[in-house]
Amino acid sequence: MVKKIKGILRVIRMSFEIELRQNLTDGFVLFGIVIQPLIVAFTALWMLKDKGPDYAIFIVVGSAMTGLWTALLFNSGNSIIGERWAGTLETLVGTPSSLRVIVFGKVLANITQSLLSMIGCYTLISLVMGYPLTLSRPIFFLISILLTVFAFVGFGVIIASLFILIPDFQRLQNTLEFPVYILCGFLFPIALLPGWTTPISYILSPYWAARALHGSALGALEINQIYISWVMLIFFSAVYIIGSSALYRLVLKRARVDATLNTTG
Amino acid sequence: MNAIEISNLKRQFKTTIGVIKRQTKEVVAVDGISFDIHAGELFGLLGPNGAGKTTTIKMLTTLLIPSSGTATIMGLDVVKDAEKIRPRIGFIFGGERGLYWRLSGLDNLRYFATLYYVDANVAKKKIPELIELVGLKGREKEKVEGYSRGMRQRLHIARALLHDPEVLFLDEPTMGLDPVGAREMRMTIRDLQSAKKTILLTTHYMFEADALCERIAVINKGKIIALNTPEKLKHTVQDLSVVEIEIFGIPPGFLEKVRKLEFVDSVVVETHNQRQILLVHTPKGSSAISDIVEALNGLRLGKIVTREPTLEDAYVHLVGGQL
Repeated sequence: MVKKIKGILRVIRMSFEIELRQNLTDGFVLFGIVIQPLIVAFTALWMLKDKGPDYAIFIVVGSAMTGLWTALLFNSGNSIIGERWAGTLETLVGTPSSLRVIVFGKVLANITQSLLSMIGCYTLISLVMGYPLTLSRPIFFLISILLTVFAFVGFGVIIASLFILIPDFQRLQNTLEFPVYILCGFLFPIALLPGWTTPISYILSPYWAARALHGSALGALEINQIYISWVMLIFFSAVYIIGSSALYRLVLKRARVDATLNTTG
Repeated sequence: MNAIEISNLKRQFKTTIGVIKRQTKEVVAVDGISFDIHAGELFGLLGPNGAGKTTTIKMLTTLLIPSSGTATIMGLDVVKDAEKIRPRIGFIFGGERGLYWRLSGLDNLRYFATLYYVDANVAKKKIPELIELVGLKGREKEKVEGYSRGMRQRLHIARALLHDPEVLFLDEPTMGLDPVGAREMRMTIRDLQSAKKTILLTTHYMFEADALCERIAVINKGKIIALNTPEKLKHTVQDLSVVEIEIFGIPPGFLEKVRKLEFVDSVVVETHNQRQILLVHTPKGSSAISDIVEALNGLRLGKIVTREPTLEDAYVHLVGGQL
């Protein structure tokens, strides 16, 4: 059992490393990690320079989360598409390692690098513009950030399975971008949405991540409400990761029936 | 003991035709094939493009689920026991795909060693050994995108051997290699055979199959049409001779005229720049030349030679000259 867990951790670590190495040699991905967040951070803070710091931190956290989701959807999705076109998706499936574990490592790499780049960009721009970003509960905020990575990775593993199952899923990539921004309350509270959408928001782990991050940054949530957000975030992320085991079994069986692991059949 | 057992294996693919009125069509890629491969045997699967070779290998490597029939590798079912089979087999598909081009050859091998759960200490020793075996020593830290086609093929071989598999599937491993690279690859395959690996090899090159394989199955349109040793396959055409005619341009219709001659078994055209070589298989030998030349009346002909059939001729005879 210990040997098996060690093996799985090695696969995650190596998939993480390989994904990062590949991203660092891809100009398109590098632009998305380094330049784009700088432009977004500069624009967001410039627009908010006359508003109060409370509003600024809400927008900064919100826009950083939209950036994370975009990075997840495009980098992780395109990574699966790239594997299929390169013929490596089939090679990966043919190994004894679980594709779900490999994807976990890849998504973790994409989320970590995007998160680090966004934290760096917002801090840099706020310093340059002399616009301090104050956090109401810094320790709670840091813990929320760590849990946010968990929430996004869990969500990302589920989303990646759709790219494995449906070769044309790239066509839906753009249409998926905004509904998640809105339903997860990244940029404005979900209370502004129709009541029937609320249950959908509640089952999305990034919603609880946004709630915890906004709540701890602004101090707008009571401590016990932040705890509730963390518990819900951990619960739904764990449900995704555990549930993804059965999902990947189904997806891979379907892909082997439909011959969609490779572009050449 | 059989390492691979295949029984009535069939695989269909669905394709759609049309945009508005979409129709689904079923294409049979592999049509009820059966054969066994003994442990430690080097077995060849020969066939023209689209015959079903790669589909067969993909089913055996657990990457495609058969439509019907069964296949076992070391007694394990390719559908039910896919996860148990994967650590025990290695595979390479012809061509340059299946590698990470933006990573070095060494990083590719490190990654796949991890995915095959090769112990880290074992991998540290094994990877340099394999790099040396496939002749990539000194180039292993360069990105794969800078490798030649032959180097990528050899890196594939190293990847497939990382976990010391019992059974190897080599799908056209010499495809696109220059003569020197192809010869080196054949020597590597021979070494693997000496190491008692069970190998299923597909190739278009008859001399390669003749030189390497203990038994050969010829597959055409998804069906096995012959299965025997190379020597016995050659005997299937021992009553035939091959008339080779050099021609400079064949207009439509002339080929059909030759095919319709009653003593002609099959006809194949090989194109070499401006000229073509017509290979006519016939039991009449050199006495058929005058009738064939008459059927080609009006064309500019060059050298005409009659020779004994080779394994390639046996293959052409079996697949009905559809090369």
